[in-house]
Amino acid sequence: MRRSWNISSRRIRFGRGTGNEVPLSDIRVDLTAAALFPLGGGITIEAVGPSPVRVNGNSAKAAAVHPGDEVLIGPYQIRLDPPPPGFDASLTIELVQPLGDSLNRLNSSSRIGLDRAAISKRKVAWAGVLLILAVFLLAPVVLYSSGAMPVWRKGGSDLTPITLVAALWKPGELSNSHRFFASNCATCHTSPFTRVADTACLACHQNIGAHTDPNAHLGAVRQMVDGRRCTDCHEEHRGTNGIVVSESRLCLDCHRTLTETAPGTGVSNVSGFPTGHPQFRATIVADAAGPHLQRVAVDTQPAPIDRPGIKFSHAAHLVAGGFPALGYKPMVCADCHVKEPAGQGFAPITYKQQCAGCHALDFDRADLPWPNARVPHGDDAGVAAAVWNFYAAKALQGGIAEPASSEVTRRLPGAPARIAVETPEGNPQAWVAAKTEAALRTIVFDEKRGCGYCHFGTGPGGTFDLSEALKIHPGGPAATAGDAAKAPHIIAPVLLRTRFFPFASFDHSRHTAVDCEHCHAARQAEPVGALLIPPIKTCTECHGSERAEMRAQSTCISCHGFHRDFFGPMRSADALPQ
Amino acid sequence: MRSADATEAPLPGHRHESFLIHSQFRYAKAAVLLVVAAIVVYLLDQPYGTGYGGSWAGYTLGTVGALLILWLTWFGYQKRNYATIRERLAALLSAHVYLGLALLVVATLHTGFHFGWNVHTLAYALMCIVIASGLFGVYAYARFPRLMTDNRAGMTMQQMLGRIASLGDELRLAALPLDEATAAVVERATATTVIGGSVRRQLSGRLAGCTTEAALAYLDRRDADKPPGSEEAWLRVRVLLDEKALLLARVRRDISFKAIMDVWLYLHVPLAFMLLAALFAHIISVFFLW
Repeated sequence: MRRSWNISSRRIRFGRGTGNEVPLSDIRVDLTAAALFPLGGGITIEAVGPSPVRVNGNSAKAAAVHPGDEVLIGPYQIRLDPPPPGFDASLTIELVQPLGDSLNRLNSSSRIGLDRAAISKRKVAWAGVLLILAVFLLAPVVLYSSGAMPVWRKGGSDLTPITLVAALWKPGELSNSHRFFASNCATCHTSPFTRVADTACLACHQNIGAHTDPNAHLGAVRQMVDGRRCTDCHEEHRGTNGIVVSESRLCLDCHRTLTETAPGTGVSNVSGFPTGHPQFRATIVADAAGPHLQRVAVDTQPAPIDRPGIKFSHAAHLVAGGFPALGYKPMVCADCHVKEPAGQGFAPITYKQQCAGCHALDFDRADLPWPNARVPHGDDAGVAAAVWNFYAAKALQGGIAEPASSEVTRRLPGAPARIAVETPEGNPQAWVAAKTEAALRTIVFDEKRGCGYCHFGTGPGGTFDLSEALKIHPGGPAATAGDAAKAPHIIAPVLLRTRFFPFASFDHSRHTAVDCEHCHAARQAEPVGALLIPPIKTCTECHGSERAEMRAQSTCISCHGFHRDFFGPMRSADALPQ
Repeated sequence: MRSADATEAPLPGHRHESFLIHSQFRYAKAAVLLVVAAIVVYLLDQPYGTGYGGSWAGYTLGTVGALLILWLTWFGYQKRNYATIRERLAALLSAHVYLGLALLVVATLHTGFHFGWNVHTLAYALMCIVIASGLFGVYAYARFPRLMTDNRAGMTMQQMLGRIASLGDELRLAALPLDEATAAVVERATATTVIGGSVRRQLSGRLAGCTTEAALAYLDRRDADKPPGSEEAWLRVRVLLDEKALLLARVRRDISFKAIMDVWLYLHVPLAFMLLAALFAHIISVFFLW
């Protein structure tokens, strides 16, 4: 739409108000926006409303205008043309921003939809994928392959870039004993994409004991045991205590039927604990001289007798009131049974440590003037020599004074001892030999007073056979000196064992709250040699199955170890594929 | 009282069936079956120590879980070719949702409930976020389409925008007789009509400092001292502004609903791909250091 008209006025006002000479009907225009008037021979436009006008694109409050200039008032463009004759000015007014475009403008100014406001899903996905592959795949592979992982860390921080990257792949906590080399995966994972080989374990544990006697005939069980990999039982990254499997079924899977599958081993079937566990079988001494050991159930009737080669009675030592030699103090277990440093078991019983305090091997008698003469312990030939030496010395001194009566006759209290003086006379050698033999027979190797008080002899029925020992004269003890193998054995061998269950371990240090005699009925131990090892029911008073609610939870490995060092090494590193 | 027949008889070919109940919960049942099987496998497995990903059940559940993740991600690819799967889309979506939920159980059992700061738990955590965002998507798709329909009152977005634009035109005309200050306020309300914008603005459905609301508030303030003689124009502007404000609120609410229906995908999709990367790294790491 286009129209033209002439205006005669001193000035021309533009605005949306109807009183203006040029009404501009648009809300975007001020009521009275601008005025055009002649000034000084030219024409000037002045913004009279609150908004400035734009003259040739420049915002202005007032400006001189000439033909060819363009003035913008709101959406209107006012162009000055060369005036026709008789006119001061000629204006062409055009609505350059019509309202009809408002929908388009609204549409173009609106941002509707997250795709126009948010960042691209694809870019985020790519960035995330690349980040994850770089950090969680590439970095650990590069670290492993570069060999940059330290063998183990000596001090310093655990949090270094290397350990942090190594930890990214860690599937679970390492066992406590292996954590010190946790910074180097290659310690166990020696090559990629292969399972951890036994050689990796044996690098440190080369002497780990075998489970079975290498000479035992196990048949298929042998293949099964030998075919096991270390990691079949010892899985790493299963928590700080996870490296040793404690579940009973690991053992029971085989031991449930071992009597049938490996009959030669003599191992009893076990199907659980306490139910399903056979009675304890103690390894006791059947014959100390053999030595011959015997494995016997502790509840066998008649009661099994341990024969360590010594006449020892616990009951005789644990008498009420005690003994004069101990100041009448009653004996207690700990008087003889001394804990090992770790407290698990007890130090071996020895004559010197446990017996000598009371059972001194005195050879003198109180009423003789040469006290403290003793015979040695554990040296049969030495005993004979000591006695011979004693009498030889006396012979040199001219004889001895002895009580006239026999030893078994008691003096009345207060009565003077009847002393008879005996001299070697003309044949000191024969005298010494006779005195030595008499002393050996009647005093030293006496069944009641001497060695026989505790020991058996090597003779028939445990008697003392002195025939060899007495050959030491007349040549004297020098005849056998320096030849221990030929030395006569008068005392039968003694075999005192500290453990009765070689295939199980019992930790006394963890049972200190229980009185010794609660388990070991030592006071009632009759006859001599009665086994004091308690039966299984003593244990089950407190110990239950591995899932027990009201008992101590006990698994196979609570008492039994898998690896037994006395069977030799479990695996020979040479025999393994490298 | 209407008869039951009249209300319940479905219109043939027009019944809308939610993907949630597709084929009488066929895929829900399949997912339940999968979950039960996974639990049985987990319980049957008795590894030494506690359950973990490296036992036979662990490997089984892990394999099933990894295959599920691949299949679930493939759905996104299929969905792009809408034309070829139009018939099966509801079935695929139903399976996607229910098997995705089942995956949560399968993968959790695969972990044996062991977690740490490592690639393995990273993959699991990403999977959980993807599933959680997907669950939000299910919720959004179940809730917001109806709200959008109600809100639009039969109009399309373009219709509403056109009405707002023409209201602007009318406002400009109606405000011609008004005084400078009032006209400026009305013009600002017309010229600066902000629709949509940033993510937060789209999600909120509101606009702090809306010029239309400001103009209405201005008119309220000036109501007592409006210039004499302009009552008619004043009233007319007031009516137009009210209508525009109403429409703007609707448009913004509509944008908000749509934004909420879309926003979870900004987690779901990128994290799904990151999950694939983490899953790949997880599997490689397990066998690299076997």
